[in-house]
Amino acid sequence: MLLDFDKLGGLRTALIALVALVCLFLILPIVFIAALSFGSSQWLIFPPPSWTFRWYQDLFADPRWLYSALTSLKIAAIVTVLSVVIGFLAALGLNRGRFPGRDFLRALFLTPMILPVVVLAVALYALFLKLGLAGTTLAFIIAHLLIALPFSIISIGNALEGFDRSVEDAAILCGASPWEARLRVTVPAVSHGIFGAAVFSFLASWDEVVLAIFMASPTLQTLPVKIWSTLRQDLTPVIAAASTLLIAFTILLMIVAALFRKGRKA
Amino acid sequence: MAVTVATGAVKTKREGTFGYLLPALLLIAFFFIVPVLMLLVRSVLEPEPGLQNYAVLLGSTTYLRVFLNTFMVAGVVTLVSIVIGYPVAWLLAIMPERWSRIVLAIIILSMWTNLLARTYAWMVLLQRTGVVNKTLMGLGLIDQPLALVNNLVGVTIGMTYIMLPFVILPLMGVIRAIDPAILRAAALCGAGRLQCFWRVLLPLSLPGIAAGALMVFVMSLGYFVTPALLGGTANMMLAELVAQFVQSLVNWGMGGAAALVLLVVTLALYAVQLRYFNPARGT
Repeated sequence: MLLDFDKLGGLRTALIALVALVCLFLILPIVFIAALSFGSSQWLIFPPPSWTFRWYQDLFADPRWLYSALTSLKIAAIVTVLSVVIGFLAALGLNRGRFPGRDFLRALFLTPMILPVVVLAVALYALFLKLGLAGTTLAFIIAHLLIALPFSIISIGNALEGFDRSVEDAAILCGASPWEARLRVTVPAVSHGIFGAAVFSFLASWDEVVLAIFMASPTLQTLPVKIWSTLRQDLTPVIAAASTLLIAFTILLMIVAALFRKGRKA
Repeated sequence: MAVTVATGAVKTKREGTFGYLLPALLLIAFFFIVPVLMLLVRSVLEPEPGLQNYAVLLGSTTYLRVFLNTFMVAGVVTLVSIVIGYPVAWLLAIMPERWSRIVLAIIILSMWTNLLARTYAWMVLLQRTGVVNKTLMGLGLIDQPLALVNNLVGVTIGMTYIMLPFVILPLMGVIRAIDPAILRAAALCGAGRLQCFWRVLLPLSLPGIAAGALMVFVMSLGYFVTPALLGGTANMMLAELVAQFVQSLVNWGMGGAAALVLLVVTLALYAVQLRYFNPARGT
């Protein structure tokens, strides 16, 4: 009864109303920011008195925004590649290996994802200060790799669970070397897991704020650090413009991911 | 015979899978375990060996406020997320797919949107001259604008917004896995709607509720960005305290001590989760 959509009766109306409200609650702030980024009010009055592209012009006129976006892109791209490669190897090892402590290792690999990121940020900051790496691109890459890797291990690990290993063995029996078999048989078979790993690793780095705040230097900032430091000063509509571009980018990424899933099903 | 030899060859070729784990292992060891341990060691060594950092942290009313703030906000956010998220997950689990797809797309869009963009949106919406205050005044519900930012109300609203998807998505899975026939049977046996809910549906989804609540609570305890931006300096939470000790005060001893407290609470709660709500153990 309670789990039959058509037999809920009056309760159904109430539940639908609540879901509609929650959807509004989730989507309105996003729509609101996009609208404000085109509004002419410096004080973010809504509805805006008139419409303008001024904040976008301001955004692109300041080279520090573009530079921080490029820095973010570069770091996220490197992190994605490293995370997928190291994550694939680790997932393969966890999937194939039969050794004591395997479950412990799996849990250990996933801990950076569940620990409060501020603890990791402070700890890494201290280490990088000692090593003289603070404020370098390498520091960013290592920090982001730590939180991206669990996503890769989970995503590729799940795909490997569903892959019949005897197919790889058959390729080896047919004369392929183990690595040839892996690259030409296993990797294509788990490509959806690898794609998922790449998307999540990229987003984990691209959107990451807390580690980035500690890794940043006055000359090396990612986009979230730039937004953060601007936000601490005032609520300028330029941030609305930057946020809107980020939202557009997110929607694009969702569409790509959805198309990829559709392509696999077909 | 040939096949046996060949599978034997495959087996020998397979050996040494442990090596695959090495890059990840080295990364975790050098850049995760070592720095976290170093930080914790500093908490008992700086400025001088002893537990005085912990005595100060756990013994002063200033820091007690921070702990209270943290646990209160995390508790309220968890409660509100579950109370709102449960009915949403319930309907999502049973509604026709063409509708649930749209709702899911909205949830995922909000989840994937940059955290700072979302927090910024709430800073603007909740300010004194913001849309929320204007709407409430327009409706005649309040005469004066409410103070909704730079306090824990703002933090709670902003964090509930962020945590809601983390409750809805797993709960949806749990409710989907419940066999509708069980509820039909309960109804056939004469249970009313309320009884069906309290005595069948809710107990069956309790493991999911508990797991979701624990996850949101733990995530909220260690949250940094939203409290820092929506809470203002007067209403600090634990993660901000850790950052402040290190960044502004350059007091690594106290920073390490606060980090350890956060770490211990988090790990203890995860241990509870693994012990009692681990789906892999079938509980």
